[in-house]
Amino acid sequence: MASPDLLALQRRLRFRYELSRARLALLGVVPVAVLVAVAATLAHRPESTLWFGAATVTAGATLLWYGREPQSAVLPGILAGIVPLVLALCANNMHACGPGGCSSWCVEACTAGGVIAGLSVAIVGNQRRAGGWYWLSASSLALLTGGMGCMCVGFSGLIGLGLGFVGGVVPGLIRRLRTA
Amino acid sequence: MTAPTLDALMRRLAQGDRSVFTQVFERLWPPTLRLCRSLLKNDADAADAAQEAMHKIFERATDYDPSRPALPWALAIAGFECRTLAKKRVRRRETAEANESAFGALDPEQDFVDRDLVAAAMTALGELSPTDREALTATFWDQAASSAGATFRKRRERALARLRMTFRRLYGLT
Repeated sequence: MASPDLLALQRRLRFRYELSRARLALLGVVPVAVLVAVAATLAHRPESTLWFGAATVTAGATLLWYGREPQSAVLPGILAGIVPLVLALCANNMHACGPGGCSSWCVEACTAGGVIAGLSVAIVGNQRRAGGWYWLSASSLALLTGGMGCMCVGFSGLIGLGLGFVGGVVPGLIRRLRTA
Repeated sequence: MTAPTLDALMRRLAQGDRSVFTQVFERLWPPTLRLCRSLLKNDADAADAAQEAMHKIFERATDYDPSRPALPWALAIAGFECRTLAKKRVRRRETAEANESAFGALDPEQDFVDRDLVAAAMTALGELSPTDREALTATFWDQAASSAGATFRKRRERALARLRMTFRRLYGLT
């Protein structure tokens, strides 16, 4: 076989390889899509849940397709993000009522969930001695997944999630940077 | 510095490291083609099978199990492709032979003679009376079989005799 033919064959093989990766990535985010559907059903603001869900699914599929370190961050990131999501969805149905009226526990739930998510991402990152791409990918996915539930009282829930996450992840990240 | 093994390259490709793509191809193509040549004994078929095998190998690269050696894994896929192609070729040959025996050999000379004879028979038939033509046509299409009484048989015999005579008159043959 002449070398131009081999180059053409290589191009075809590369296309098949990418196609197969994309197919697997789409299959891999099916559980995330189910999670988004469930969260949108339970959430008080399904539109924002769906927007965050769509971003989570897209980011997850892209990272799975890309592979390498970002791919390995998908599962820990999503699992970490489920904690603030579940807490926020539960807080949707809980109120603290006092003489001045009732207030939602959404921000507190998101902050606490963010801390747990940050700690989880940091623990896995340190165990794996992961590089920067892991920390970035897992954190993004955890925040996007948690964000599906933390828009319950507007942006304050998201800010709580972000602050909690930073509080949870930074000590682990510093530890990782010191050992690197 | 030693070159990375095929297993290590395959592992990296499975993890999504595209930079090793060409190296994996260059290591896998020669043994795959060699195996297909030895199994199929035909260069064109071997190239087809090897290409198809490479398609399958790279499609499944993401699923590659790093605990298994890469070359036997790839050659197993290539072997399967060769067997599939060989079976396909045998099946195609059998179908072609069956078609040939069903429709007869496609001999252009014989075809020309047949057409000539049919044309001559039609000319001779055109010389007969409408009753004779009808009797012979019904015989040809086997339409008279169910109502073949003595009268029809006689009419048919007479029509055939007249057709023979006409044929002889026209072409000097029986």
